[in-house]
Amino acid sequence: MLTRLCEELTTLLSDDDTPAEESDPVLERLFPRAYLDPTEEESEADWQRLVHGDLIDGRRRTLATVEGTLAGAQVRRGRFELTLSEEQAQAWLAVLNDARLALGTRLEVTEDMDLSGLDPDDPETAPFAVYWWLGMLEERLIDVLSGSS
Amino acid sequence: MGALDAPTIADPDVDETVETAKPWVVVVWNDPVNLMSYVVYVFQKLFGYSREKATKLMLDVHHKGKAAVSFGTREKAEVDVSRLHAHGLWATMQRD
Repeated sequence: MLTRLCEELTTLLSDDDTPAEESDPVLERLFPRAYLDPTEEESEADWQRLVHGDLIDGRRRTLATVEGTLAGAQVRRGRFELTLSEEQAQAWLAVLNDARLALGTRLEVTEDMDLSGLDPDDPETAPFAVYWWLGMLEERLIDVLSGSS
Repeated sequence: MGALDAPTIADPDVDETVETAKPWVVVVWNDPVNLMSYVVYVFQKLFGYSREKATKLMLDVHHKGKAAVSFGTREKAEVDVSRLHAHGLWATMQRD
């Protein structure tokens, strides 16, 4: 499932290279405006020209790192086991967070939704269950990364 | 020592020299997706804030809808916004 998420994020990032006919809320959330003031359009355009490519490249790099670690995962007793360097763990954090942003935006999640205990086998609630599970994984990873610094 | 000609300004845009004197502020906005622990982690990582300060800022974002996380020149604000966006936070910049 994580591999599929990586593939979907990669597709999303390559779609961004071609002009979209209608704006994609996920892309808008992943690449928002910098300037709050709508009269600063020129500065906003300059800044986007400057950083947008780097933001995409950064995301592509972290995705590639995570996909690399998944390819090297070992299966033991029915579970995937991965050993991550600090750098790989940071990449995992970025990808997990981006995946949550993309999925959460698509699903239009709100803060008051209780998503714990949803059935991942029910097609209606499965995406929400995935979203919740990604959050649990991300929390654990943050615990580990915060502890080591 | 000696008379100087017009001072060399790195940015040739005359208007910009007046504007850079005015501080800019970077605001992070609340969003329904990002984990509170993640926001604290990012504030510490990007700005070197203590856990306490990062937590306080995160709670401001969470409860008040937004919080000012850094102040400075336009250039610094643009860099900070870029870094926050790279970490998936929703940030904007505005004149203070």
